[in-house]
Amino acid sequence: MLDKKQLKKEQIMQSALELFASKGFYSTTIPDIALSLKMSVGNMYNYFKSKDVLAREIIKYISEYLGKKLREINEEDISTKEKTRKIIEEYFKTASLKPEMIDYFLRIYLSNREVFKDGCEGMICVNEFVTEIMIYFEEGVKCKDLREQDFFSAFGLFMGYLGGMVFLKGENVLPKDLNDYVDDITFNIYKALSTE
Amino acid sequence: MIKLIEKIEGEAKLNFNFKDNKIDFVDIEFMSTRNIENILRGKNAFDALVINPRVCGICGHAHLIATVQALEDCYDNLELSNKAKIIRELTLNFELIQNHFKWYYLTMLPLFGHKQQVLKATFPSQLMGKAIALFGGQYPHTSYAIVGGVVCEITEIDIIKLQHYIAQTIKFVEDNLVKTDSENFLTCKDADVLLDYEGDLPDILRQIKKEELLEYGKSYDRFISFGENSYFKKGKSLKTKVSHNISVEHVKESEMPSSFAKNVSFKDKYYEVGPLARAMVNKTPLIADAHKKYGDSIFSRILARVCEISQLLEHSKKLIKDLDLSEESYIEPSIDISQLNSSGYSAVEAARGTLIHKVEIENGIIKNYEIITPTQWNLSGGTKDKLGVSQKAMIGLSDIKTAELVFKSFDVCSVCTTH
Amino acid sequence: MKNKMRVLWLSAIACNGNTHAFLNYPYMEQFLDDFEFIYHPVIDSEYSLEDIVSKEIPCDILLIEGAISKEFQRADVSVVDIIEKYSKIVQKIVTVGTCATFGGIFRESGYEETSGMHFDQDKPSQKFQDLIDKTISVSGCPVHPEVLVNTLYAIKKNAALKLDNFLRPKEFYAYTIHNGCTRNEYFEYKVDNHQFGKLEGCMFYDHGCQAPFTHGSCNKILWNEINSKTRAGLSCMGCTEPTFPRQNLFSTKKNMAIPENLPVGVGKRVYLTLAGISKAFKIDRLEKKLIDD
Repeated sequence: MLDKKQLKKEQIMQSALELFASKGFYSTTIPDIALSLKMSVGNMYNYFKSKDVLAREIIKYISEYLGKKLREINEEDISTKEKTRKIIEEYFKTASLKPEMIDYFLRIYLSNREVFKDGCEGMICVNEFVTEIMIYFEEGVKCKDLREQDFFSAFGLFMGYLGGMVFLKGENVLPKDLNDYVDDITFNIYKALSTE
Repeated sequence: MIKLIEKIEGEAKLNFNFKDNKIDFVDIEFMSTRNIENILRGKNAFDALVINPRVCGICGHAHLIATVQALEDCYDNLELSNKAKIIRELTLNFELIQNHFKWYYLTMLPLFGHKQQVLKATFPSQLMGKAIALFGGQYPHTSYAIVGGVVCEITEIDIIKLQHYIAQTIKFVEDNLVKTDSENFLTCKDADVLLDYEGDLPDILRQIKKEELLEYGKSYDRFISFGENSYFKKGKSLKTKVSHNISVEHVKESEMPSSFAKNVSFKDKYYEVGPLARAMVNKTPLIADAHKKYGDSIFSRILARVCEISQLLEHSKKLIKDLDLSEESYIEPSIDISQLNSSGYSAVEAARGTLIHKVEIENGIIKNYEIITPTQWNLSGGTKDKLGVSQKAMIGLSDIKTAELVFKSFDVCSVCTTH
Repeated sequence: MKNKMRVLWLSAIACNGNTHAFLNYPYMEQFLDDFEFIYHPVIDSEYSLEDIVSKEIPCDILLIEGAISKEFQRADVSVVDIIEKYSKIVQKIVTVGTCATFGGIFRESGYEETSGMHFDQDKPSQKFQDLIDKTISVSGCPVHPEVLVNTLYAIKKNAALKLDNFLRPKEFYAYTIHNGCTRNEYFEYKVDNHQFGKLEGCMFYDHGCQAPFTHGSCNKILWNEINSKTRAGLSCMGCTEPTFPRQNLFSTKKNMAIPENLPVGVGKRVYLTLAGISKAFKIDRLEKKLIDD
């Protein structure tokens, strides 16, 4: 039973993500989402009590999705440099396969903080994702591949760079495919963070 | 004849040479060392605050205070609140007092043929331990004094507790050591008047007089004390003439072939350190009177040490009144230790006398560390031509038992001596 | 005349800190009624150290303080020889303090092969293998007097003590120093702005406190019956552990600002997840002075 309900929730979140990406977050209403899934509005509310609740659940859903992917990378027995590359690849892959996810993260979560102020304080709703980035950094410094520095200066460099690239891609200003930049970006990020 | 002197925080070997049934020379050997100075080399400078209290289980707190002061001496213009200074002085006082009780009841009494009084030693020294733990978290082996102040914050309630520990300790003194109001003991200026009181101290003093031990334990009658604070003055005393203009620069340590204890001299002369030396430099009336009558004998030495218990308790009460709780306990140094290439030294008064620490730092790492302990001043062995302080005090005695009494009247700390 | 347990207190490479910590045991009169020292570094005993090393004095418990090396002598006899002689006749051996248990500070004192009795830091030592079943370790620099004395009473009562991998009674060493610290809330809610000299704050984040990953009862059985280092505002230095003393004791080892040593038994993912959640909230009471105007 639970699984079925969870599956339905994920379907709703996926549809919502697509609508947010095409119509914009504020213009999309709960009835719009219900309609796209051929559900009654009343039934929709059984799954999400409000649009704000839905918004928060979506960001957690994305964080869990990305966190799971990064955890697999973190648990591999490979060098920090290889991990760096894999994380970048994974991020871009998600941006290509599920552009609405990264779009939501960058355009909605990060720029509409008022929607997320209750229940999504600090990094609570992106915990799984941030925890894995922390572990990637921590283990990198521990094995002396990465230089010791403040977490946020490293985090900002890494995620700001990737976010910026995806943003440019979304604005259709990138001449090449995202994957064509992986080598250079890996080189740049690793050089900036490493002890070398 | 060789005698192993035991229960002096380790042991020492005394090799007695007799001539005409009198002690002609005593070779003093401390048999082992723990190379603390080597352990410190290459370590982060602040780690010395944790390692150095472990020089000694009974006077480790003096080593902590000496360490923090030596490290602070490496900085230019380091800020320290008056509150932190007072707190450090208080805890060091408490350690001195604790030592004095233990020495008197555990070491001295048995040497006069009495039963060791373990509970009389532990009861007041536990109170003093609590008084230190109130600030430092525990005793022994706290590292609560750090560069820039002390780690603790204290409240009015802490002060009340502290005053109780002190009051209870004073009561113990009045009920046991000298059975009179402490005020009477502290204002007494005549050592012979003290003999009329009841108590564990007058008992021993009377016994010294009765058994004609008054001439025992005399040495050079030269005293020195470097550790200055709000109570102790810095200076040297030569046959009661006191001068305060002395410098640690003239203190020299030299290796001895037969012992791990290095000798310490000031301008090539040996000096006695400890409570008697402090009282001579401070010109404490009661001790000056004892010295006038009985010289630097065991009588004066024992009296000076026990008297210091009451003096320091009384002085601590005054220090507490000077505490301004609104001041900062700790002021973070403006320079990080890892930026520091410097050297520094300190001199503090530990229970047994002047303790000197010297440190050299390179990028915050200890390049060199030197410790000169009180027992080195008093108990390291000299040569026949130039006897050490305790050696000289034993010359001419006719039996080993008395020699042991004289030796232990300086209060030997074997672990400190060789550290 | 009561049947007292006979105890030999033997110091090896030591500072006598355990000896003096022991003298802080509050019920000394009772203790001395139940136990008798055949030798103690400070307390008078029927026998001298020379008697101890030259004869074989009947004895029930051997206490060893200080790091052990064959090269280190007491009264001209190697401490290893003294230990071997008495370990045969006693019921139990207790390694008192961290030096005797793991080597501690004086492991570095420069004597040949210096270590604890059964451990060289955390590695098992080959030296006294046959005596492992007889030994109980009470580590700490120094050991807490109640931990030592109550362990001796447990031996006297023949009480079965459960020991950890380092032979330490779990009754005292199953806890962490963190348990009972008055600064716990600052740890729980990740308020990481500790400054020395304050009642507030937790020393774990910046100032090297090892309490969450150090075993012992310092905040459960208070020192001198009144306080503990962490309560006073001093970091736990990890003195009960085989790693004592680590280096750079007043600062927390961090990797990209994440503490390298985490609470014992807590996985990194769990810790970081909980920390991330706690840190998201601002708790006014813990941001303010504890006792304010």
